[in-house]
Amino acid sequence: MFSLVFILVVELLFFNFAVSSFWGGGWGSSVSMLGDGENFLFTSMIALGVMFVIFAGDIDLSVGAMSGFAGVMMAEFHLGGMNIWVAVVLAVAIAALIGLIQGLIITYFKLESLLVTLAGWFILQSAALAWEGAVPPYGFPKHFDSLLGTGTVAGTVPNQLVIFAILALLATLIVHRTRFGRQLVLVGHNRDAAGYAGVRVSVTRIRAFVLSATFAGIAGMCIAATYSTADDNLGPTLLLPAITAVVLGGVDIFGGAGLVPGVIVASFILGWLTPGLLQDGVSDTWASIAIGVLLLGSLTVKGITDRRQGVSMLDRLRARSATATPGAPPPAPDAT
Amino acid sequence: MTAVSQSLGRAPARPGTRAPRSSALRRFVRRRELLLVIITVAVFLITDAVNSGFGTGGYISFMLADAMPLAILAVGQTIVCLVRGIDLSVAGVLGMVAVSTGFLAQDHGASVWLMLPLALGMGIGLGVINGLFVVFARIPPIIVTLGTLIVYQGVQELICASRAVETLPPMYAKLGNDNFLPDIPYMLVPGVLVTVVVALILWRTAWGRSLYAVGSNAEAAFRAGIRVKWVLISAYTVCGMLAGLGGLAFLVHYDSADSQSGLSTSINLSSIAAALIGGTLLTGGKGGVVGSFIAALFLEVTIQAVIVLGVPQVWDQAAVGTLLLAAILVNRYQASGRSLSQALAGPLRSRWQPGHGGAQ
Repeated sequence: MFSLVFILVVELLFFNFAVSSFWGGGWGSSVSMLGDGENFLFTSMIALGVMFVIFAGDIDLSVGAMSGFAGVMMAEFHLGGMNIWVAVVLAVAIAALIGLIQGLIITYFKLESLLVTLAGWFILQSAALAWEGAVPPYGFPKHFDSLLGTGTVAGTVPNQLVIFAILALLATLIVHRTRFGRQLVLVGHNRDAAGYAGVRVSVTRIRAFVLSATFAGIAGMCIAATYSTADDNLGPTLLLPAITAVVLGGVDIFGGAGLVPGVIVASFILGWLTPGLLQDGVSDTWASIAIGVLLLGSLTVKGITDRRQGVSMLDRLRARSATATPGAPPPAPDAT
Repeated sequence: MTAVSQSLGRAPARPGTRAPRSSALRRFVRRRELLLVIITVAVFLITDAVNSGFGTGGYISFMLADAMPLAILAVGQTIVCLVRGIDLSVAGVLGMVAVSTGFLAQDHGASVWLMLPLALGMGIGLGVINGLFVVFARIPPIIVTLGTLIVYQGVQELICASRAVETLPPMYAKLGNDNFLPDIPYMLVPGVLVTVVVALILWRTAWGRSLYAVGSNAEAAFRAGIRVKWVLISAYTVCGMLAGLGGLAFLVHYDSADSQSGLSTSINLSSIAAALIGGTLLTGGKGGVVGSFIAALFLEVTIQAVIVLGVPQVWDQAAVGTLLLAAILVNRYQASGRSLSQALAGPLRSRWQPGHGGAQ
């Protein structure tokens, strides 16, 4: 956690000296830096959502497509004559419903979350493409674009930062201060133990998927407002940074361990990396390669430190595969 | 206790032993392949009956050629799935190889035969990277290959640098789209060759059997003296190599490539879908490449049928996603050895009865 804050400070100091315009002309004038937030805060929101699912030992690959689909849904509702705020609430609610359906499919049929959400990703992406037709829907009311998108509070703090702060606080409280949060971490840590301790494992996992889809839906609204158009093709571009933020933030990719504030800090490290590099004269392509390298690098370091601490990968795989293996028939009676 | 016996009881028939030759695994594989052939032919005949243009020779050979890049990728994906892995980077490898070989062919007129070792070599190199991360950095395969996918695609864009492969020597288009026998395109040769060779390797060689052993139970395989790390790395390497070959096949078939090759098509998901539809389990140790090859043809015929029947093409990804969901449901039922209705009601009924529903 402290090392993450340290990395963030080093990164910001580096960009401060390397990129003259990064702080909007110098130390103290933070307009430019805060303004960059609108380019990554929705990714941070998605990361917060996916974090719940990863805490529970699952994964949700559909979040990027989900936010794109939610944006298209909201836009089509609105262009169909619906009040924009009703459309927003309805779109987020439908996104949550889709998350519920995915969670139900995964837990009821005992399928791999990886595969179900992979299928969900492609179905949602197709559906968004088909719904919007040839031209992505655009043209929302000014107050919507401003409130969820590019507007600021008192001219400095972007509205999206406020929204993100609320969601981040909410996520922190949910995971670290509620009964559900403790059960979530236990389910990810050891599904069997959670079951024997009386935790309703399936319900907990389904809730995580609903939260993930809801956060993705809210992020989709912010994306639509920022660009004033609904972008359908966000799956690949948002998914990797979101998962990278969660993993970099110290949440165990196998579930069951981690701190929400770590994810929040990590999402800012990643968020400012791209605009920082871009203003530093590095191309967009290199910036995205950097994120991929960062993901692999941070996990490699974690893997090596785990080995030093004597946590055997075999043990972790065993603990995971024993509970997460679909298709496992119940034990034979003579298997002593 | 439950956990241990579950992992022990998961695959009752281990491949490689002599006595249970017609083991559950073999019967399972055989049945799935036959089922797929029947469904594919049925889809084809029904579509042909509705739209008579579907069954003409041109369309058949087009579909056969069109399915081959996917089929080659699916064979590689199957190998990784057999050891409980997954490779999301195949699209990145495909794209990188397609543009690299494409630019060499476009700028220097290099022939396909010169490009073949290059494509295979690049694929091997990129696959080894995946394998090393999985084995030595101890990162889950899904995350490793998601990361390398982005990196490989970034490199692909760097290679392109806003150019695209557009004009290739005529040999490429000929190999990619012409027939050498009536209705049999050249493209079918590498696809069938790869499938047959890999199938024989999986059935008949120690390396092939060790893939199943590691996928079924890595610890048991380790105790039995199999070099698990080496098997894992080699699985990702072979998958990368085949993805490289798939990249060359992609280039030859489409006669072009750009920075979006592999990314813009759903070939990544489709290769995983083909492996799973073909009867391979993502949980390792079960499956085979012949099923994946047939499943690739099945996906191709289904998508073309959907297009011919007038559904907009944007839905083809959704079609693949839906078929993937259906396949993992069916795989799950077959693995649990229960009938469909039992399995559908199973999770509820067997909830408080751990012993229920096993060997019925």
